[in-house]
Amino acid sequence: MQGEVRLEGLTKRFPDEVVAVDGIDLTMPPGEFFTMVGPSGCGKTTTLRMIAGFERPTSGRILLDGLDVAQIPPHKRSVNTVFQSYALFPHLDVARNVEFGLKYKRLTKQERRLRVAEALDLVQLGGYAGRRPSQLSGGQQQRVALARALVLTPRVLLLDEPLGALDARLRKDLQVELKALQAELGITFVFVTHDQEEALTMSDRVAVMSAGRVEQAGTPREVYEEPATVFVADFLGVSNLITAEAEADGEGCALRIGERSLRAARGDTGARGEVKAMIRPERIGVEAQDAPGENRLPGMVERAVYVGTAHELHVRLVGGDLVKATIPNDGSVPAFAQGAPVTLHLPADAVRVLAPRPG
Amino acid sequence: MSRLRNPWGRPRGLVLVTAVYVLWSIVPVAVAILFAFNDGRSRTTWQGFSTRWFTGATGSVFHDAALQSSLKHTLLLGVLCVLVATPLGVALALGLQRWRGAGSGSVNTVMLLPLVTPEIVMGVALLLLFLKIFPGIGLGTTAQVIGQVTFTLSYVVVIVRGRLVSIGRDYEEVAADLGAPPRDQLLRVLLPLLAPAIVASAAVVFAISIDDFVVTQYLSSDASTTTVSMLLYSSARGAPTPALNALATVALVITLATLALAFLVYRRFAGGSDAAVAAALEV
Repeated sequence: MQGEVRLEGLTKRFPDEVVAVDGIDLTMPPGEFFTMVGPSGCGKTTTLRMIAGFERPTSGRILLDGLDVAQIPPHKRSVNTVFQSYALFPHLDVARNVEFGLKYKRLTKQERRLRVAEALDLVQLGGYAGRRPSQLSGGQQQRVALARALVLTPRVLLLDEPLGALDARLRKDLQVELKALQAELGITFVFVTHDQEEALTMSDRVAVMSAGRVEQAGTPREVYEEPATVFVADFLGVSNLITAEAEADGEGCALRIGERSLRAARGDTGARGEVKAMIRPERIGVEAQDAPGENRLPGMVERAVYVGTAHELHVRLVGGDLVKATIPNDGSVPAFAQGAPVTLHLPADAVRVLAPRPG
Repeated sequence: MSRLRNPWGRPRGLVLVTAVYVLWSIVPVAVAILFAFNDGRSRTTWQGFSTRWFTGATGSVFHDAALQSSLKHTLLLGVLCVLVATPLGVALALGLQRWRGAGSGSVNTVMLLPLVTPEIVMGVALLLLFLKIFPGIGLGTTAQVIGQVTFTLSYVVVIVRGRLVSIGRDYEEVAADLGAPPRDQLLRVLLPLLAPAIVASAAVVFAISIDDFVVTQYLSSDASTTTVSMLLYSSARGAPTPALNALATVALVITLATLALAFLVYRRFAGGSDAAVAAALEV
């Protein structure tokens, strides 16, 4: 299968000495939907632009099916890009936009026409061949940009926040459509987004980036359920991070938080000393004051927020940490109002130990 | 005081000042145009309507040898200046846009200098240049074209660069991404997108060229290189007839028509707001 991208020690330092990408190693398996996600300035777009050929790496290799393309100009690479701005040529109609790159393939006029028609059908814009880009809606322009890239049957399709300019509802629809299209075509998609939900729902594999480095790469389930670093835990979804002291506890690990102690079964259970205890709000059980049992912490509801699908409680622990817990909305009136004393149950298999990064 | 009492009311004072200014600037021109159609020889006393100073058998714009020659030479200089300054200016704009690094800033500033240099200074400097340093070229049509290109080039660069900035780099990158080599990125994408700015700048160059007096006068040689503006200047104190008004009217119509064309082309194809178009044509 074709379309594997491997980045080895890829580095980009701009003339003003800003290191945008700091020696990343990543493997993007052929035929997968691979997402690079991170806050703005984390280097994800620069990495994508290096794969496309718009930026020249300072050092490192970009292997496309084993061949280093780092020094090959963009017009000679068999990867194509969908830009955030779409950048449809305003002086050409839809069909000519899609046909643009086919002029550089050895094809007859008939073959070109056929491929343009197929590509437009693929993105459900069959009847729009004669329109000008300015006559199309944002979603339609996005599809034309997609067709213009896909018509060249690239080994890898690069997408730079392609849904960023669309409204929320259209965005959701196109997320599903894009994912289905990728599965159907079997082309490797390399997708860049700052939206963690988009990254989790669309991808086969996610690389979470920060400050020019890859914090963690894995399946969406892995990076969400088993974040390797505090950054990943914090960036993906809502996380509670509580400062604790890790101690040995039989085979596992005990976390001392003030007077209390929690058993933790996940993460760096071998770590000792100051660590972060991480737990997702949906994994916390909210119980009445003084409920018995282990792995329980007392606190007081500081704020109760109604969010529709759930009730979100902000609970101040006795030690001073603020913890968020969500209770699914089952239609009943929540028993815990602002100011109520509660006990939080943090099950051992939901508590993750995150050791501070070495160095 | 009324403004203080009613801040939402019309600013009457400002309206008045504006109206007076508009009248002040238009009325003399309108009177000059009016007397181009005078039936008599006077440029101050109205003697009935006629087009004799445009098309009459003697002394009219279309039949007097000197007037005809000046009009032809003016248009010739305009066309040559456009043909040289526009491609050169587009190339310079593209080059300056790409060139980032030491020296690009100072070159940018130098490019704008002709816009602020007093024309008389430039005229004297160019005169010396052609007399002392390039005597082979000498004075005349060639020198006039080179002289006009020297300062109209800046307008082309300014207008085209403005458009380049608003176009951005995305289109070129898309073209490269789709397989277009650098030559095609320019020919298939960038130049079509720049077309409105190129047409607009060509029109501005033409309009400036046919209006120019100082540089063109300095670099002229004999009667055959006399332009409309030079003729108007030299004969205004001699034996003026309404034919001069007619000649000025023709020049004015050509200038306005060119600028109007540029405005329409730019608005039609650049898709910008009127304000943006006006800004691009601001010269």
